Amino acid sequence: MLFILILFLSLIAQFFLPWWVITPIAFALAAWNGQSEKKSFWNGFSAIFILWVCMALFRSLPNENLLANRVAQMLMLPVSDFNWLILTLITGVLGGLVAGTAALAGAAFKKGFFGRRR
Amino acid sequence: MRALKPIFTLFLALSLTFALNHKWGSIPPLAKFLDPFQGFWKNAESSDTSPELNLNLAGLQGEVSVQFDNQRIPHIFASNNHDLYFVQGFVTARDRLWQMDFQTRFAAGRLSEVIGPKALDIDRFQRRMGMTFGAENMMKTMMADPEIAAMMSAYAEGINAYIQSLKPGDYPIEFKILDYEPENWTPLNSALLLKMMSATLASGSDEFYMSNILKKYGADVMKDLFPDYPYREEPIIPVGTAWNFKPIPSPNAPADANIGTNASIRTKQKEEGIGSNNWAVSGKKTVSGYPILANDPHLDLTLPAIWYQIQLINQEQNVYGVSIPGAPGVIIGFNQKVAWGVTNVGSDVLDWYQVQFKDPSHQSYWYNNQWKATKQRIETIQVRGGEAITDTVYYTHHGPVVYLQDQKPGNFAKAKNIPEGYALRWIAHEGSNDVRTFYLLNKANNYDDYRKALTYYSAPAQNFLFATVDNDIAITPNGYFPLKWKGQGKFLLDGANPANEWQGRIPADQNPTVKNPARGFVSSANQFSADPSYPYYLHWEFSGYERGKRINDRLSKMNQITVDSVRNLQNDNYSIFAENVLSAFVSGVNTAKLTNEERTAFNVVSKWNKFYDAKEIGASIFEIWQKLLTKQIWEDEFGDANTPMRYPSRDRTVQLILSESQSKWFDNIKTPQKEGLNDVLLTSYKLTIDSLTKKYGPMSDKWQWGHVKHSNVPHLAKIAGFGSKTLFNGGSKTSVNALSESNGPSWRMIVALGKEPKAYGVFPGGQSGNPGSFYYDDMLDIWAEGRLNELLYLRSNDQPSERIISTWKFTKK
Repeated sequence: MLFILILFLSLIAQFFLPWWVITPIAFALAAWNGQSEKKSFWNGFSAIFILWVCMALFRSLPNENLLANRVAQMLMLPVSDFNWLILTLITGVLGGLVAGTAALAGAAFKKGFFGRRR
Repeated sequence: MRALKPIFTLFLALSLTFALNHKWGSIPPLAKFLDPFQGFWKNAESSDTSPELNLNLAGLQGEVSVQFDNQRIPHIFASNNHDLYFVQGFVTARDRLWQMDFQTRFAAGRLSEVIGPKALDIDRFQRRMGMTFGAENMMKTMMADPEIAAMMSAYAEGINAYIQSLKPGDYPIEFKILDYEPENWTPLNSALLLKMMSATLASGSDEFYMSNILKKYGADVMKDLFPDYPYREEPIIPVGTAWNFKPIPSPNAPADANIGTNASIRTKQKEEGIGSNNWAVSGKKTVSGYPILANDPHLDLTLPAIWYQIQLINQEQNVYGVSIPGAPGVIIGFNQKVAWGVTNVGSDVLDWYQVQFKDPSHQSYWYNNQWKATKQRIETIQVRGGEAITDTVYYTHHGPVVYLQDQKPGNFAKAKNIPEGYALRWIAHEGSNDVRTFYLLNKANNYDDYRKALTYYSAPAQNFLFATVDNDIAITPNGYFPLKWKGQGKFLLDGANPANEWQGRIPADQNPTVKNPARGFVSSANQFSADPSYPYYLHWEFSGYERGKRINDRLSKMNQITVDSVRNLQNDNYSIFAENVLSAFVSGVNTAKLTNEERTAFNVVSKWNKFYDAKEIGASIFEIWQKLLTKQIWEDEFGDANTPMRYPSRDRTVQLILSESQSKWFDNIKTPQKEGLNDVLLTSYKLTIDSLTKKYGPMSDKWQWGHVKHSNVPHLAKIAGFGSKTLFNGGSKTSVNALSESNGPSWRMIVALGKEPKAYGVFPGGQSGNPGSFYYDDMLDIWAEGRLNELLYLRSNDQPSERIISTWKFTKK
């Protein structure tokens, strides 16, 4: 549930708002509806990982990965035919880490401040 | 204690978010940059283009339609000048916004604002050279001309309309990498870019070397090795052309013209990097009976491409050609009736005047036997991530004192040719209305229109080539040429003596020019504008004559000329320089002293056909050999680290080799024995083979000229991955196809005039400045292969063409 909520809310919000909106979204949703901290982290991580990877592919595939290959060279990734794919995965992991950490913090808040009755 | 963990994890999440949204050094804000919604992925353009777009914009006066062809070149149809230049600004910004922004910041000395303290030296340099001072003077002149003022403003409005339509996610990728935002455009930005052309093409100076050489070797050696007219030359205005004007008197040189120099000055040798060509042949020599005009201006090549192709159509004009991203109108192009092109004129329009200040406050300086007050210009440089820096520049009536004593940054290459304590007198500081020249050429109908247009042009001086459908061809080395005494500015000048100043200008209508010469063609390749019969002094040295001679040799022999034969000449790799010296080189080498490897290579270079084609190994050997030979001959006398000097010209070196083989200059004064020409030929040959072998192994295909030369087109900000691949291409500085490592033909154009003009062109890049676009470098391979695209010249808005891929309709809001 948390996974789907973070993914969908971020998808909509990111069309209008800067990328860091994923931090408050993941935090708030996990604080409201998160389970364990570990689960929340992985929910947040995988939601944004999947969202960012899919969006990156959506942008890059019609571009025949032209730009991704150039940016991979700029970032000095080792030269290979799959540079664009590695860059896509880096993108997903980076976004995932931010959202995962924020969700973890949300879950910790829930447990620490709101979860006394459990 | 339960609260500790939530607070700690929240802190972690916020820190991570902040850190990835922040630019660290030269690393872009990573998550912001990689965000697939608004980050760089958004710049990845799809290969599909939407065929139609309607735009509703405030600021337009009527309807405008833009047809984009299959190279994404815009063809703009407007009903008035305002809308035409407005939409030119809009579409140029759509494709080149970052390039325009970055080049303007570079020109104005404002890079530190966006890239921080590491740009401070270059910013200070640009400001101390007076770039903004010159652009402001230009603005005053342009804005006093109502038509040009309106043109500049409409263009700026169009750019701003585009900028305002953008959200951060839409910014060009370089803004995202460097993490800054575009700012509104002003006509001053356009003026800065135009003045940058002078900085690129008319800012060379050898005065310090020359003064040092004069001091060390005296006037006789100076006259012998650095003569005021070359041994071999084919001036642009053919020898024997009559000067149909009564010249005004040139000033006389003062008795004590030449002053001593400060030996601590360190300079870099002026590189002979510019290799532009243009020519036009009369209808008498063509198959069609109408003139054909060709032009290839050479510059330091970059991506995004230097030029932007465009067609501009309204009631007043239908012009096609290349524009400078950031300036309205067409710079090189053609219309229904005429075509024109430009190459650089290497006239001397930059001089250095020694300034004697009264005291360390620099408030006054000595001039004409009295103290005169300086003006101060306070430059404030905003620095990203630091405090603003102010810099005071002192201006004499000559111009800015670029560096006061001990003010020059020690380790800054660009400033190395600037003497400390000297004021800069430079044509780029003058108010000028160069835009009017192009404005008039864009709508020119005939030769008289051309002559009129040229009178408005100031700098950088260009060889304006022109042809009309009425079968007139002409060329004019044109610009503001200061009236000087012979040799004025060959050396550093004393700024206190009024006789050393520029004495007005050569009257514009007395600039060298020729119309319809008997030989049936006109041409230029940066060589001397005219022979010594021209009554005024322009400079003592221009680029070598070799390309000009090759063009003239070929054109003299060519008849029944077609676009294709002209295209072959543009791509000609033959070297007149090699023709002049190769046999002397080869016959001077004692082959008995060569090793087997050296002899094998010697056979290759001996049989070389003198074409710098990509596959020629002989070209590689010869090129390195002549370089090392030149060094062998001159370095011992002119390579003093304490007194920086330069070598005599290639022309003088060739003369020495061919007709003064007993010259003392061949001797290496640093060795006890006495060397002659054959000794230096042998030594430099052996060194050549040694260096090629060290770098590429024993002789093989790796020695081919295309590999050794390593041509490529780098990104404007040298961002890795955004430049071109390495190209396997021929050409050399002394060939018509003067492509070196990354200096070469920035635009190749051929126009065949006729009832309907037919034109061809290509540049090394593409229309789009976006590295994520298929139109970023789609012309590069065509250019590299020496082919041309047929240019789509539309006559009317509803003319059907299968090359049109999309149409934009602009309406006023």
